[in-house]
Amino acid sequence: MNPALLRRGLVYALLSLAAFISVFPFYWMIIGATNASADIIRGKTTPGGALFANAATFFATVDAPRIFMNSAIIAVVGTALTLVVSSLAGYGFEMFRSRIREKLFALLLLLLSIPFAAMMVPLFVMFSQAKLVNTFVAAILPTVASIFIIFYFRQATKAFPSELRDAAKIDGLNEWQIFLYVYMPVMRSTYAAATIIVFMANWNNYLWPLIVLQTADNKTITLILSALTSAYTPDYGMLLFGTVLATLPTLVIFFLLQRRFVEGMLGAVK
Amino acid sequence: MTDMSTRWKRTLCVALTGISIVTVAAASASAGEISVWVWDKAFNGDTMREAGEIYTKAHPETTFNVDDTASQDDIRAKLQTQLLAGSTEGLPDIVLIQDDIAQKYLQSFPGAFEPLSDSIDMSVFAPYKVAAATLDGKSYSVPFDSGVTGLFYRSDYLEEAGFTAADLENITWDRLVEIGQAVKEKTGKQLLDLDMNDTGVIRMMMQSAGEWYFNEDGSLHITDNAALKKALETYAKFYQADLVKPVSGWAEYTGAFTNGEVAVVPVGVWITATIKANADQSGKWAVAPIPRLDMEGSVNASNQGGSSWFLLSSSDNKEEAIDFFKTVWAGDQDFYQDILIKRGAVGSLLSAREGEAYKASDEFFGGAPVWQNFSTWLGQIPSVDYGTFTAEVDAAVAAQLPTIIQGGDIDAALQAINDQAQQQMQ
Amino acid sequence: MAQSGLARSERINGWLFVMPALVLLGLFMIYPIVWSLWMSFQVGKGMNLSFGGFANIQRLTKDPVFIRALINTFTFFIVQVPIMITLALLFAVALNDSTLRFRGLFRTAIFLPCVTSLIAYSTIFKSMFAVDGIINQTLMALHLIASPISWLGDPFWAKVTIIIAITWRWTGYNMIFYLAALQNIDRSIYEAARIDGVPAWARFRYLTIPMLKPVILFTTVVSTIGTLQLFDEVFNLTGGTGGPSDSTVTLSLYIYNLTFKFMPSFGYSATVSWVIVLVVAILSFLQFLVARDRKVKSS
Repeated sequence: MNPALLRRGLVYALLSLAAFISVFPFYWMIIGATNASADIIRGKTTPGGALFANAATFFATVDAPRIFMNSAIIAVVGTALTLVVSSLAGYGFEMFRSRIREKLFALLLLLLSIPFAAMMVPLFVMFSQAKLVNTFVAAILPTVASIFIIFYFRQATKAFPSELRDAAKIDGLNEWQIFLYVYMPVMRSTYAAATIIVFMANWNNYLWPLIVLQTADNKTITLILSALTSAYTPDYGMLLFGTVLATLPTLVIFFLLQRRFVEGMLGAVK
Repeated sequence: MTDMSTRWKRTLCVALTGISIVTVAAASASAGEISVWVWDKAFNGDTMREAGEIYTKAHPETTFNVDDTASQDDIRAKLQTQLLAGSTEGLPDIVLIQDDIAQKYLQSFPGAFEPLSDSIDMSVFAPYKVAAATLDGKSYSVPFDSGVTGLFYRSDYLEEAGFTAADLENITWDRLVEIGQAVKEKTGKQLLDLDMNDTGVIRMMMQSAGEWYFNEDGSLHITDNAALKKALETYAKFYQADLVKPVSGWAEYTGAFTNGEVAVVPVGVWITATIKANADQSGKWAVAPIPRLDMEGSVNASNQGGSSWFLLSSSDNKEEAIDFFKTVWAGDQDFYQDILIKRGAVGSLLSAREGEAYKASDEFFGGAPVWQNFSTWLGQIPSVDYGTFTAEVDAAVAAQLPTIIQGGDIDAALQAINDQAQQQMQ
Repeated sequence: MAQSGLARSERINGWLFVMPALVLLGLFMIYPIVWSLWMSFQVGKGMNLSFGGFANIQRLTKDPVFIRALINTFTFFIVQVPIMITLALLFAVALNDSTLRFRGLFRTAIFLPCVTSLIAYSTIFKSMFAVDGIINQTLMALHLIASPISWLGDPFWAKVTIIIAITWRWTGYNMIFYLAALQNIDRSIYEAARIDGVPAWARFRYLTIPMLKPVILFTTVVSTIGTLQLFDEVFNLTGGTGGPSDSTVTLSLYIYNLTFKFMPSFGYSATVSWVIVLVVAILSFLQFLVARDRKVKSS
């Protein structure tokens, strides 16, 4: 047998297996949304007829439009701000080297490792004194400057061709124009990946919104679903219907942006 | 390239507009509105809503805002963060707290909760509930649901193995193991399902003998705790006789008995709604008194869980809240009948037991007067001091369970529990 | 003259680009962190705190749960991170082949675990790894095991289950970074190598790996920190206990328990947090050192 063909077959087999293992719990979640709670506990893995009943219970229990709107505002605004602030910083740290900023950057990486639980009380004191408790501002602000995303952009910037920057300078662009007109379009796949990652993190963010968003009408879908899980007699059908809904936004964003990964460095050389 | 840059500019614009959207003002509680934190919509949430409605009907200026959108763990995290931060603006007026952690809050945050025994007569409630929230002679809670335990069992399985209801009356745990072996032989069913991360069964065994993890002065009562030792031995027996279906987590735990995989469930009365949710099993269930330990002082009654209402000192509506507690929670018999029928909530108001609902029989449990029985057992629960470090000792006990079920030495395990807990209590 | 003007603009721009991030981090990280460092010298429960010097550090060395958490966290880190990084890299390279069919489908499928909600995923993992669950049934049908394994009930297998769960959830996530990075690599280099007859494995070893090095370093550091802060999986799969027998308790879970579940002991939990910082400091330093070393050798 042709070794190239054999290798190709192996790759497909490996990917199919990985895909199956990856998709199964997701499939189970969707199937669960169509089954009654008792059937789910019994381990039923075939589609059932309770989808509409589950949906009805979910919408009767959760003020879905309001809650999803809260989640969307926090995730979208948070993601946009994080991308701007953190990519600027990642670019800045990589492109303009100075000894003091290198030290600062190393320090930031260390801070990345502090568990959030350790900072929660002082953070809460700050927002409480600023009279911002129970606002979206409080939910979003601490996440905007993400060391993680700064680090990501800095590492990705290492692959940014310096000739492009030199050429742009010769064309008379200043540093900010280079960032806006050259760097951002060239690094589209990096931005796409970062968008997915940051959006997902914001959408699923738990501990801080839990503490800082006080009233029921300001909560996010992630918080609401978690509370539903811990009921004495959870309605798993309704719960899984809710989790399917809550998963859709991230999935859609991933689906829309994943094409960017294959486009490569378009635009850069135009 | 130009096309590209306009798109990025547009993104920036959207982002900046976004900032102005998020500056929505905080919704603050309006005057005369009593806010309450609870953790289960169908059980304590709807019960509190109903209590609020009764009060609002008589006092239209006082309304209630019951928030059930956080789990019990979440409520603890929120409460603790804000009390530690010394910030009260996000706190509710009333919060529901489980009895076994009440002392922890009362002692770590002095002044955070309002003493209620000066204005409310606590003698109307089950004494062991009041004791759980009493510190320095003052009681800080209005007791809500009781965690009085019962041995829920599948009467059809037991019958198949030749046992009658009388065979389960006032037995010891050792006898239950024997019954379990016979049931397994006849029906192939395991006796019970246990989650090794949960010490609930061990605690209810221990409390049935009036013991807990601590001495009166708060020091550890582990190595010389005969009830705890007996409880751990019994726990090991379940496994050694191969009568356990091991489970992990709440879904699996409830799934095992609602699917008919096990014969008995020793648990607090609050499980009733979960069991009755399977209407097709009506008539196949019954409830017996919880078994006792085979030792002096152990009775056929115990407790698991249960919670009480606490009033925050920072509340702006203290007077209304206390009056509400007095008229509804400490006085309204009909309310207690109603929440029992609707939600299976066994309250702690002693006189409520005389009501009609408590006397009714339940077809689901073979026509037995289950509520009457639970009320009787409720009066027999030995009162214990849960202390402030129950969670720490629980963790230490759970850490020893895998060794114990494999036949490990119980005294050595007790020593290890003692050492770990000692370390944690610093 | 022009030269120095340029240098000054470089200097100013260097600060301007990073300024928004630094201001926000200063406010929302540095202040809380300094506070928590101060707290780590405080002893006492709840609001009754007093200065205790190094008492918390002494307590650490004698705390069996802390030592178990430290060992568990390291076990997870040492076993899990290499498996995940290797798998993610393999998937990314396989999916980067433009002649491969159904690439979008595979990409989405492998990415799915990290968007699957924690609730759904922990519920199904628990049911799959139950004693009578599908995993045991399959293994027994294949005659790989004689009797069912108590996955979440046995201290050793519980660790294995947690490692499987983390790998399942985060491999696709790490793959995204590699896929994005592979797109930034100039394809003509590959073409040239291919035409020159360089075999596939050599192209992977000598072209792909070196070019991905910044991103590999990034994912390794981030996964290291992620594993050292491991919380979600353990909390949800073990009902918040880190059991059985503390076999899966992690430093983060212990911090959570010290802060919210046990008698609130904030000073002590802050001390445990700083242990993580210390560990990460050492590990990151080593990782950077290794990366830098290789760079020197290869150039």
